[in-house]
Amino acid sequence: MLRIPLIAALVLAVASSAASSSRADSPRDEGAEFFELKIRPVLAGKCFKCHGADKASGGLRIDSRDALLKGGEHGASIVPGKPGDSLLVRALRHEDDEVQMPPDGQLAKQSIDDFAIWIEHGALWPASAAATDAFAAGRHWAFQPLGDPQTPAEPPDAGAIDRFIAAKRLEQGLSPVGPAERGPLLRRAYFDLVGLPPEPEELDRFADDDAPDAFARVVERLLASPQYGARWGRHWLDVVRYADTAGDNADYPVPEARFYRDYVIDSFNADKPYDQFVREQLAGDLLAAEHAGDRERYRDEVVATGFLALSRRYATAPYELWHLSLEDAIDTTGRAFLGLSLRCARCHDHKYDPVAQTDYYALYGIFNSTQFPWAGGEEFQSKKSPREHFVPLVPAAEAEPKIAAMRAAIEQLTAQRETAETTDDWQQVGDLRRELDRWQQAHKLDSPPGVPVAYAVSEGKPGDACVQLRGEPDKPGPVVPRGVPKFFAASGPTVIPEGASGRRQLAEWLTRPDHPLVARVMANRVWQWHFGRGLVATPSNLGLRGSPPTHPELLDWLARRLIDSGWSIKALHREIMLSRTYQLASTARAENAAHDPDNNYYWRFDRRRLDAEAIRDAMLVAGGTLDLARPGEHPFPPVKKWTWTQHQPFKASYPSPHRSVYLMTQRLQRHPYLALFDGPDTNTSTDVRTSATVPSQALFLLNNPLVAEQAEGLARRAIAASGDARKRVELPCLLCWSRRPTNDETNRAVEYVARVADELKAAGAAADRIELESWSSYARLLLESNEFVYVD
Amino acid sequence: MNTSANISRRRFMAGCTGGASAAAIGLYGRLSLAAEVFGGHPLAPRPTHFPPRANRLLFIFLTGGFSHVDTFDHKPRLATDSGRELSTHQLRAAQSGKLMPSPFKFHHRGQSGLVMSELFPRLGTVADDLCVIRTMHTDIVEHFQATLAMHTGSSTVPLPSIGAWLSYALGTHNPNLPSYVVLAEHLPYAGAQVYDCNFLPPEHQGVRIVPGDEPIPDLKPPTRSVAIAELERMMLRDINELHAHGRADDLDLPARTASFDTARGMMQAAPEVFDLARESAATLDLYGAKQGDNRSFPSQCLVARRLLERGVRVVELIDTGSHDNWDAHGDMQDHRPKALRVDRALSGLLQDLKQRGLLDDTLVAICTEFGRTPTTFNGKGREHYIDAFSCLLAGGGVRGGMAYGETDEYGMQIVKDPSHVHDYHATIMHLLGLDHKRVTYRYAGRDFRLTDVAGRVLESVLA
Repeated sequence: MLRIPLIAALVLAVASSAASSSRADSPRDEGAEFFELKIRPVLAGKCFKCHGADKASGGLRIDSRDALLKGGEHGASIVPGKPGDSLLVRALRHEDDEVQMPPDGQLAKQSIDDFAIWIEHGALWPASAAATDAFAAGRHWAFQPLGDPQTPAEPPDAGAIDRFIAAKRLEQGLSPVGPAERGPLLRRAYFDLVGLPPEPEELDRFADDDAPDAFARVVERLLASPQYGARWGRHWLDVVRYADTAGDNADYPVPEARFYRDYVIDSFNADKPYDQFVREQLAGDLLAAEHAGDRERYRDEVVATGFLALSRRYATAPYELWHLSLEDAIDTTGRAFLGLSLRCARCHDHKYDPVAQTDYYALYGIFNSTQFPWAGGEEFQSKKSPREHFVPLVPAAEAEPKIAAMRAAIEQLTAQRETAETTDDWQQVGDLRRELDRWQQAHKLDSPPGVPVAYAVSEGKPGDACVQLRGEPDKPGPVVPRGVPKFFAASGPTVIPEGASGRRQLAEWLTRPDHPLVARVMANRVWQWHFGRGLVATPSNLGLRGSPPTHPELLDWLARRLIDSGWSIKALHREIMLSRTYQLASTARAENAAHDPDNNYYWRFDRRRLDAEAIRDAMLVAGGTLDLARPGEHPFPPVKKWTWTQHQPFKASYPSPHRSVYLMTQRLQRHPYLALFDGPDTNTSTDVRTSATVPSQALFLLNNPLVAEQAEGLARRAIAASGDARKRVELPCLLCWSRRPTNDETNRAVEYVARVADELKAAGAAADRIELESWSSYARLLLESNEFVYVD
Repeated sequence: MNTSANISRRRFMAGCTGGASAAAIGLYGRLSLAAEVFGGHPLAPRPTHFPPRANRLLFIFLTGGFSHVDTFDHKPRLATDSGRELSTHQLRAAQSGKLMPSPFKFHHRGQSGLVMSELFPRLGTVADDLCVIRTMHTDIVEHFQATLAMHTGSSTVPLPSIGAWLSYALGTHNPNLPSYVVLAEHLPYAGAQVYDCNFLPPEHQGVRIVPGDEPIPDLKPPTRSVAIAELERMMLRDINELHAHGRADDLDLPARTASFDTARGMMQAAPEVFDLARESAATLDLYGAKQGDNRSFPSQCLVARRLLERGVRVVELIDTGSHDNWDAHGDMQDHRPKALRVDRALSGLLQDLKQRGLLDDTLVAICTEFGRTPTTFNGKGREHYIDAFSCLLAGGGVRGGMAYGETDEYGMQIVKDPSHVHDYHATIMHLLGLDHKRVTYRYAGRDFRLTDVAGRVLESVLA
């Protein structure tokens, strides 16, 4: 029997392994390291497939110590301390005829000896699955510190992005198509940066601008436009599952949600440093307390925590199933900033990523120490589900006396009502009740006159949370100190003071410049929103189950660039849009398509369908009806009429002349237009928009009154532009296709309009309608056309 | 191409709203690219590999995982050995539970004596048409993944749905309706991915219809003359064809153009399809549908029949969504209301198809994502179970009144004739005249198929 001391074996192991960089300190760690280096990789590589979660051959699983102790059909697999009596070792050594493992050939002798050593020393299996996965996680690309990649040398006259792209493209034997023509490039840049088509006069100006920086100036002008925020803010609102309702069973409206929406749009417009943007959304209320004097900043920072306040509500009573709302807060935080799904760790250690169940409840403690608002619910009218804990947008010192006065008044009224009820003076009760209702409705709860409030969070009662066994809140496990996921906290402890929720510390930890994930995640998103696909195709999952990056060095370079520019998103836009890669044409090349049909190596720019918002906005631009101004409050019914229940939930769709980012969207039912054209999910973070083509979209374009109205508006503009039919064709083409019609197209259009006019005349249409209707028919076709909804 | 496919293709083209050329209506004599290029409709019927036993598929998905041992796989030993501890593997680890007898009574039904539980009293009346596959098994013990697997063959990455594959392989009979229609008031686990066409051309996408007063929005045209509507149709095709010039590699563009033709066809055909007022009181009663109701599951079954009659290739019915479904962890008695909701409607649907002569060439698949453990953790409910569960086939080419395969005395392990989800799919394809190994689509340098690299036709279920 083998008698090699564990330490000696470990030294051998460490010496022979390049993967190991840290030396273990305690005996337990030594055992863990031995397991991770010598045992686990073999189990994972050779055994789990047949004896794991998916399949348990011979009734045996060997993916935990317990499973080995329990064994399968042949009895226990290991006897800790006794390798000779352990079936596992006997099977590995092929000592019995019956069981010889692995079936595809015996392991190396050294490896079999390692198993014997491991069992002799008690078969230590580190308790947490997350810890055991540390071996794989420790090497996972996204968890490594940001690299400082060397920019490839070729081509020498190109920028860094193009060189990284060219290097990979060359490796693949792909050659890029030529650059995009001016017209399509301008259209691409407009829809990309502001989500609107270029103005017809800009098309001409850009076509005639021969200066080398012509496109750079276009980019600058678009970045400076307030419409930029409406476009890029919308991207972020996808990620944070923005909606204007709460998601409880009656889906109560949240009129104040729009403050957060506007904050996001304004932050993009102001090019707010991304690290600050992250901190504000998690802990803005705490940052605000530091500069109460700056009212505007105070307001913005409080509003920013709408990110958390927007967490999905469930069920009916206030804060019912609250653990699920906190799950949404935790998971959205993980997906949005870290690019990790933390949700799995609610019930068990994460199966793949190094997030233990205790990590989940460490974060849970942070959010559970936070006071979330409640937007009202089914029992709103009976005051059992009031709107409460909205956050005043002025510093506490200013708001509190007013709030106190209001509360006192409510209490007094309530007390009077109570007394009245006991004296059975119903007339008086009714009067008082009405007075109280008037009072509350006029000012909204928590909102005394002159104190506006936000759907935002504030500090609650700080305290650590228990693990919830199997994710069930009524099965408490051990208490976990509030904190950040341990695997990632290695570079320095995050101490959460006793009286604080820990949101501030969480925000600070996320935005440390040495955080491996946060800059990578955002740089990848920016790339994705420009090109339609990220360098990592799973932008909210950079974990072990996410897609690996197609261009890891480029991603790190972009992440560094983001940090080095002071976390400026606009700096990234410039880098990307001024690259040749961005400016490639979208044409085909058969030999490339055969090898790389998905264009993973950027040999061209991908043609893409406009998203739901851009289709609608561009349609309103064409019809001349788009109001670019920011709208006020949604036209929700007055608060006193709020009587929705789970059986008859709030359900509305408000027409609007404003940009689509300002449409009122709900949780329990999707906005009919946005749903039709693959709009975002309002219940959970959306990282990638799909774009399906279904006949119901065609039905909308053919028959929906909105389209008919815009077509008629476009026809009126065309008619007003000129008395000459041939000239009239021009404006609709410029507005819908960002180009002039060819001579042939003009001929066809004129003939078409004349033919429709004949039909109208034959059908007896009123003479004064014939011109407008025939041109409307043509305009409608342009709005339906492929060229309108696809961007080259 | 065989002759019958030629005929069906000609008939199909004649039914197309896009059949005429621009020149034929004298729009402009000089050219009409569109009529030439789009003459071949992407959804026109295609020849099968061998003579099909069924011409269309009705795929009925019961969400949540109905319990095999409480429905179609009777295990008396669960009563005798009640309480015995056995371990089953759940998502994370093996867990031990106690064997629990079914709380439901089982009976022999029909001439064949097929054994079914009291949960489906009316479905029992058509037992002789049903083939129960008792040895289904799947790969991942989670709703999302297993639902995806039952629809796409893949438990992990989303791939094209079975309906999209069949649309791609077979085309459809009615150009004025989508080739694959999904009737679903609520979405199941994995959401819209279950009827997605994924990398297959987008015209094969399932079109979901939400029951109610306006099952398809924007179906009514603004008042425009027929002649003008026709002019618009021609002109849009021309505009799109000019745009497609030089972009021929992009299949999304013709697919989007075709979607307008399908839409126009739907405008003509759909109002009549959804108008249940045309059904007799006797038919409504057969399904258990009420006059004026267009939302209930029975009404959806009726709509399904009407869609099948009108030539839709694949109709899917999803009974309920990712909440309040067959996922009876708490108490098996929760199966009762779920069964009550579908039993009469499903038996009515099968009887109706039969009396109209449609069942002969309509394949009906009734399935779920997985079964439930013969054991219980809490004494009343059952957990997810993937090592054995039951699904059904009926209609065109299926041997009725039989059970395929055997599970052990507790319904835990398969002892004879296993049927993986891939095998179920392969059999469905076979009955529709397709060799599942030859229905492939090249994507990213690889040929994909519904059955991945597996799948075996269950020969003994074939009539």
